Amino acid sequence: MDTVVGVLNYLVFFSITAGIYAVLTLGLNIQWGYTGLFNIGVAGFYAIGAYTSALLAGPPPGTLDWRVFGGWMLPFPVGLLGSALVSAILALFIGWITIRLREDYLAIATIGIAEVLRLIIKNEAWLTNGVWGIKNIPSPLFPTIQRGVAGFLSAHPGLPDWARRLLEGTYNWFYLALVLAFLLVLYWLLERILRSPWGRVLRAIREDEVAAAAQGKNVAAFKLQAFVLGAALMGMAGSLYAHYARFLSVEKFEPFYGTFIVWVMLVAGGSGNNKGAILGAFLIWGLWAATDFLTGYLPFTDVQASALRIVLVGLILIAILILRPRGLLGEEKFVSRMLR
Amino acid sequence: MWERLPQLVAYGLVSGSVITLGAIGLSLTYSILKFANFAHGDLMTTGAYIACGFLLLFRFLGVLGGRFGKLSFGPAMIPAFLLALAGTAILAILIDRLVYRRLRRARPVMRLMASVGVAFVLRNVILFSAGADPYYYSRKIQRAIYILGVKLKADQLFIIGLAAVLVVFLHLFLSYTKVGKAMRAMADNPELAQVTGINTERIIAWTWGIGAALAAAGGILAGIENKLITPELGWQALLPLFAAVILGGIGSPYGAMAGGMLIGMAEEVSTAFVSTAYKPAIAFGILVLMLILRPQGLFGRR
Amino acid sequence: MRLLEARDIHSGYGDMEVLHGVSVEVGKEEIVTIIGPNGAGKSTLLKTIFGLLRPHKGEISLDGREVTGFPPHVLVRLGMCYVPQVDNVFPSLTVQENLEMGAFVLRGDIKPRLERVYELFPLLRRRRRQRVGKMSGGERQMVAMGRALMLDPTILLLDEPTAALAPNLVENVFQSVKAIRDSGVAILIVEQNAKQSLAISDRGYVLVDGRNRFQGTGREILENEEIGKLFLGG
Repeated sequence: MDTVVGVLNYLVFFSITAGIYAVLTLGLNIQWGYTGLFNIGVAGFYAIGAYTSALLAGPPPGTLDWRVFGGWMLPFPVGLLGSALVSAILALFIGWITIRLREDYLAIATIGIAEVLRLIIKNEAWLTNGVWGIKNIPSPLFPTIQRGVAGFLSAHPGLPDWARRLLEGTYNWFYLALVLAFLLVLYWLLERILRSPWGRVLRAIREDEVAAAAQGKNVAAFKLQAFVLGAALMGMAGSLYAHYARFLSVEKFEPFYGTFIVWVMLVAGGSGNNKGAILGAFLIWGLWAATDFLTGYLPFTDVQASALRIVLVGLILIAILILRPRGLLGEEKFVSRMLR
Repeated sequence: MWERLPQLVAYGLVSGSVITLGAIGLSLTYSILKFANFAHGDLMTTGAYIACGFLLLFRFLGVLGGRFGKLSFGPAMIPAFLLALAGTAILAILIDRLVYRRLRRARPVMRLMASVGVAFVLRNVILFSAGADPYYYSRKIQRAIYILGVKLKADQLFIIGLAAVLVVFLHLFLSYTKVGKAMRAMADNPELAQVTGINTERIIAWTWGIGAALAAAGGILAGIENKLITPELGWQALLPLFAAVILGGIGSPYGAMAGGMLIGMAEEVSTAFVSTAYKPAIAFGILVLMLILRPQGLFGRR
Repeated sequence: MRLLEARDIHSGYGDMEVLHGVSVEVGKEEIVTIIGPNGAGKSTLLKTIFGLLRPHKGEISLDGREVTGFPPHVLVRLGMCYVPQVDNVFPSLTVQENLEMGAFVLRGDIKPRLERVYELFPLLRRRRRQRVGKMSGGERQMVAMGRALMLDPTILLLDEPTAALAPNLVENVFQSVKAIRDSGVAILIVEQNAKQSLAISDRGYVLVDGRNRFQGTGREILENEEIGKLFLGG
């Protein structure tokens, strides 16, 4: 029974992170899968969302902190919306400059943005506390739930150990429910949006940009809107992450964890398909977790083990691109395709 | 502040030399293979590590010791350098055979994505084999020499000189050899090159070989300049490399040379105003400026 | 047996079939012109013969030897060269470098070949160090043809060599084509300037909707009233 509880608790942790990655992947899907915008700077929007939420809904600077700004302990929803907003503004700024560029230029520009943001996070300690990160970010409703659990446990002293352990993990179940609910609502919203007239124009642009422009659609404006929408999602994923991990530091937003793995998730699941995006996120994160176990049995150092796992993920991406570029589910078909 | 300018420009020539060597290779693969190779920086890292490996080997075997005059390295560097260039070139050709060749008919963005994957694989293979701690090319402190009113170390003069020599070689190669002309032809019009009977796969292999060798040279020179190398060397160089290529104009290796020098100097001169940590941000700023004002670059055509 | 024979060619792009069973022949040192309305598949036929497209059905033989589906870099060695309609020169290379690329597959001294091409096109000799990108359309066409001749082909495929050229230059092109034939090369031309091309041709084919419609000597086609109304512009 103990192991069952252990496994359950682990699955909850796993699913929360996979769910957050699913939000990121859905955001990337709007940008790349539906609009063809090659964003290699996902980590930048993810990070700025996370830090914004931490500064809005997080604790004020402590005595040992370098930072002097922020931490107004606003409610979690404010943090969430704030992260979406700031991320969207950043995307508006970047997109306005680069949307009209060809794919590869956009890729280079987005990677530049992500790197510059990382530099700012690392160096502007007055804002972000630099490499020391931001600690003690509150999780929504944490005190309430913990008190409830503690009260329940003290009122029932005769409970077996495994039951106690299960109940102690209640908050994580709550957060998982939060993330999954968020994901479901997001999925539903996106599917509606993509079937709307706006969504149809987007798909028309992706199929044949020249034809869409000839029909009088302002292609650049549509692309920018999609870019901003995707970025807002990425920002919100950052907020969800910040209030779950309760500690922010620049490592979690490195190119691999913040951008590359999201791309692999999207390509593996099937770009242009929201179900594929979510599936890809859970699948690849599952693979990542599995390799963690496996390398535990091998005589490697931590650095070596993680390097090996990254090599594996990289090879998987290359293999998918060569062998099955459409991913597992392929593109979502909306209406019967007109024969050309 | 302005009195420091000549000195910063001199430093700019040094870092510009390193960037140029990387940017030329990037420009060649961009114009002939038609995609932005995000793994190019990691080719620089590969070259730097292979050379370092050989240097350590020679030191361990107790051969080829000593230094050349005021330089920080000695006879051991010669075979290490050449073997690193050869090794990186062969690796690049191999990667092309295994990965990019199968994507020849795919959209260019697929090759771009694959190159990001290759970048992570390369970098982490190096991380796996060599660890995250830096490796040292040399630990000696060097004295500076006074030349034309600026202070430069013997190593730095060597870097500028070697880069110049390699650039001249490349120019002669592109202008006067059959393969060089075929490379220029393919950059112009790959379909016509096929129609003409040029063996495009062979030219592609040459492109990778030369581009990778130049990148490896750049990586080694970066190691000599910074005295140490880390697996992040190449990835961190990507932004300045792309900035140089776009500044000079995609499709023009000569543009990349000019771009490399300009970016190097801009980065160094900027340290008079901004923290050195933000050097890549300067390169990025120039890149964005070019994309807005003149996307075809200074010398570009398309 | 003719120098080049293409029999019952079915070919196209992807799933779309453009040629539905076309056959043409070219004899040694013959000039043969293919005419037809836009979309008839004329360029597609040339590309299929030269190996840029794989035919779904049909055979191609060169000098009695099966070459169906052979890729371009093999065909050039067997004596067949091709000049595309557009983008048929390397703009950033000089005239001489363009010609050198034509002889890329050869080792050894190509000077004699360069000499022969310069004899045929003296203008190119004068301008041999000039970047082709800066030359006019007519001059570029000369470079394109000269490049294709560097390998001493037995047959030359020309795709609309006079497209986008001024009328006075068009005549020059046809003069050059005749001179090339006189130097021992067979020529298969696809042309929109049907009248002038047929005037110098030994034989011709009329292609409509991916099928053979008519064939005969150049003269027969020129004098045929029905065809004259449809394609030759009266």
